[in-house]
Amino acid sequence: MMNPAMLLLVAAFAAPLVVSLLGAIRHSWVPRGAILMTGLAFAAAVWTCIQDDASVNVPWAPTWSMNFSLTLDGLAKMYALLATGIGFFVVLYASKYLALHLHHDHRLLEEQTRFFGFLLLFMASMVGLVMAQDLILIFVFWDLTAIASYFLIGFDRAEEESRSSAQMALLVTGITAIFVLLGALALFQIYGTFALPEIIIASNGGRNTGIAVGLIVLGALAKSAQVPMHFWLPRAMAAPTPVSAYLHSAAMVAAGVFLIGRVYPLVAQYDWMLDALLVIGFASMAVGGIIALTRRVLKQILAYSTISQYGYVVAMFGLGGEKGVAGATFYVLAHALVKSALFMTAGAVTEATGKKNLPDVGGLMRRMPLLAAGSGMAAAGLIALPLTIGFFKDELFFAAAYERGMTLAVMSVVGASLTLAYILRFWRQTFMGVLRTEPEPISGYLVWPVVVLGIASVVGGLWTVPAIWIVDRAASVSADAPIHLHIAYHLDARHENVMAIATWVAGLLIYLTRRIWWPAALGVAHLGSYFGPARLYYAGMRGLNQLSDSVHRIEVRDLRSRVATILMPAGLLVGLAVIVTPNSTSSFAVGALGRDDIPLITMLVASVVSAFVVIVVRDHFRLAISLSSVGFSLAGVYAFMGAPDVTLVALVVETVLSMFMIGMLVLMPRPILRFETEVRAERRYLRRDAIVAVVAAGMAFFVAWGALSRPSPSTEVIDSQTVLTAAVHGKDIVTVILADFRGFDTLGEVTVIALTLLGVISLLRTGRLR
Amino acid sequence: MILATSLAIAAMFAAGAYLMLKRDLIRLIAGMILIGNAANLFIMASGLRRGAAPILPLDEPTADPLVQAMVLTAIVISFATAALALALVYRVYISHYSVDLSRLSAAEEQQAERDEPMTEDLRESVRDDTDGEASPDGRHAREAAIR
Repeated sequence: MMNPAMLLLVAAFAAPLVVSLLGAIRHSWVPRGAILMTGLAFAAAVWTCIQDDASVNVPWAPTWSMNFSLTLDGLAKMYALLATGIGFFVVLYASKYLALHLHHDHRLLEEQTRFFGFLLLFMASMVGLVMAQDLILIFVFWDLTAIASYFLIGFDRAEEESRSSAQMALLVTGITAIFVLLGALALFQIYGTFALPEIIIASNGGRNTGIAVGLIVLGALAKSAQVPMHFWLPRAMAAPTPVSAYLHSAAMVAAGVFLIGRVYPLVAQYDWMLDALLVIGFASMAVGGIIALTRRVLKQILAYSTISQYGYVVAMFGLGGEKGVAGATFYVLAHALVKSALFMTAGAVTEATGKKNLPDVGGLMRRMPLLAAGSGMAAAGLIALPLTIGFFKDELFFAAAYERGMTLAVMSVVGASLTLAYILRFWRQTFMGVLRTEPEPISGYLVWPVVVLGIASVVGGLWTVPAIWIVDRAASVSADAPIHLHIAYHLDARHENVMAIATWVAGLLIYLTRRIWWPAALGVAHLGSYFGPARLYYAGMRGLNQLSDSVHRIEVRDLRSRVATILMPAGLLVGLAVIVTPNSTSSFAVGALGRDDIPLITMLVASVVSAFVVIVVRDHFRLAISLSSVGFSLAGVYAFMGAPDVTLVALVVETVLSMFMIGMLVLMPRPILRFETEVRAERRYLRRDAIVAVVAAGMAFFVAWGALSRPSPSTEVIDSQTVLTAAVHGKDIVTVILADFRGFDTLGEVTVIALTLLGVISLLRTGRLR
Repeated sequence: MILATSLAIAAMFAAGAYLMLKRDLIRLIAGMILIGNAANLFIMASGLRRGAAPILPLDEPTADPLVQAMVLTAIVISFATAALALALVYRVYISHYSVDLSRLSAAEEQQAERDEPMTEDLRESVRDDTDGEASPDGRHAREAAIR
């Protein structure tokens, strides 16, 4: 029998691979293949869920104490169930939705492959993330979810909004992911291991550990779209609806609170961190709730709702204690079920009516009763009506808040009543009232997932055993102590019940009096969009753009400046090095000059003189001739240096190059070439060029002189090459080196020549290339 | 001899650098070739011994064969680069009717301005966030939204 953890990972990662391969063969198979593969992954998750905990531990980079270690514990089981289960329904939904979506946009059906490939990669990386125990492994899967989400949010790549939203999501979650990595490295510095269980056992509650854990939590908060890093989530609504449904419930945003749950034993050691979580949680609850009340776009309401709902979870983690941790864990489970259903409702409504805004729809109850019932059950779950799983999520929240005093209890009631108000507004105005737009019939695939998830929410409220079983095991991991959840309906006046009733009354009041506070809520939303953190993001992006533009202007657009910016600093640095290096007499040697050297010196002088001729001539043909004269003089130099092979090659190369250059000049009309003789180079450029050339010459001079003055005292290599040449029955040592000892180098060189030839041929072929 | 070779290398390098700063693309490539020549000369000069050609049997002290082998490679590669660069210049002339860098970068700048009104977009998107909500089409839309 295969290890359950490994089995689950393989089942999850097989999905994107198989679907991508299917897409390569026949794209019409992709949706069915995706349904099958997620179904298998879900089945694997269910099967592994009822197995004992299992681990996989493979040394990955042992010298850095990195291990590929996965553990399928209670927490991993819960999130893996969510990722694959919700994933399954989302894929079912998407199998019809996406075809419609592509059809509306007049796009090819082939793009389905890309969509399902990334959606399943998203699922697989979530499954990997929840099982990972090594901090580096966690970071890898963490970033993998960000990458998958980038491609999914930006799926409609023809649209500017979709691209910039994807970029924003990637930047916000990607930059904060660096904090997770920094935290991991800091923990490694302190404890000498990346293994999270070992760190939890060894942790000392010190200040440095606190900072490291704080960094990890910061990354997690950004991923969960908590204030003030929440602004990317509403923009991510540019994604196709199935992506939103998945991203908001069981992937990406859930990954953030998962990570908090994973490192919670470390977090719980620091009161300041718990307090910070509490503040951030309640702030997100308020901001998300208030703004959700003012939105008109269906999906935007739900997006802000997600911010506020994860605010609950974060706040509960901040409340801490057995109730807090159990409540937070339970909340994620309950929220995932209902939120994915609500998103799919929004998508189905938009598909049926063609409208995206709440004011444009209404009265759909009679036309789409099944959808209304399914999403009604889900909405009831989110606003915590009895007989749904959601009732307990609020009950646990109220219980945890009440333990910490009256202020928090009141705040939690206010937060929850905001939820009730905006969900009531969302559902009631979609399905009740006047019919505004006549819906077209839509596929059952767009309705049934909603209904099933809605029923699941109700069943979870009636039969609590499975949820308790799952949450008990998951919360025990987060709390690092056994936790037993007690949830049941009590028909008495205990404070949870009182608070729940207060919430319903207050929520209803908020909804009914919406005309009164509407301008104020809108004001808050405006304030947020003008002075909120999104502004900082845009300012940062603008700054980066301007910086890049100015660098481009200075350096890239003008090739000459670029050459100068390389040569000048190089020259100055070498000059500096020469000045600061202590010079002994052996640093720079003049070298002996004998009578035998006269021919060599003559040729050197000839080549230098030709090089200066190249500078001064105006006509391009003279330039080509003097350039080849430099090459031929150098061939002479090589000849007098005892290098016949080099001389011959230099002669051939110089001949070919000169012919090539002159041939090219012949092809170009005279006026094109003559411009520089017409426009006499501006004086200031002449001076600048001369200065750069002198500095460059100084650099070359000192580098060459310094290097040539100190030759290696050992000629061992030369001698061994000589001996080896005799051994391979060669005569010319240089030839033998090239053909035998460095045969592969020569092969590479020949390849370069062949490629160059191909390049030159294709460049010289006629035809305008723009 | 060391000083003399170094001076020759420096002079050739300076000539190459000077040419590389010119507006004319052909001169730029000439500069490239000159710098390549300087580099080859440098490699040759760094041989540990001077003498006769390193061909067996050895009767007298011979030159360092190792640098010769290296310089052979270097010469061929710099030739290939120069040839490719020349062909590129020819291509630039074909598509732009000019080998003048200033004109080419002016053309590129115009192209870039056509292609990337990016900064403007970002400024817009701040407002996009409140799209609909902030629109000043008055009470009517607002009333509809409140409903």
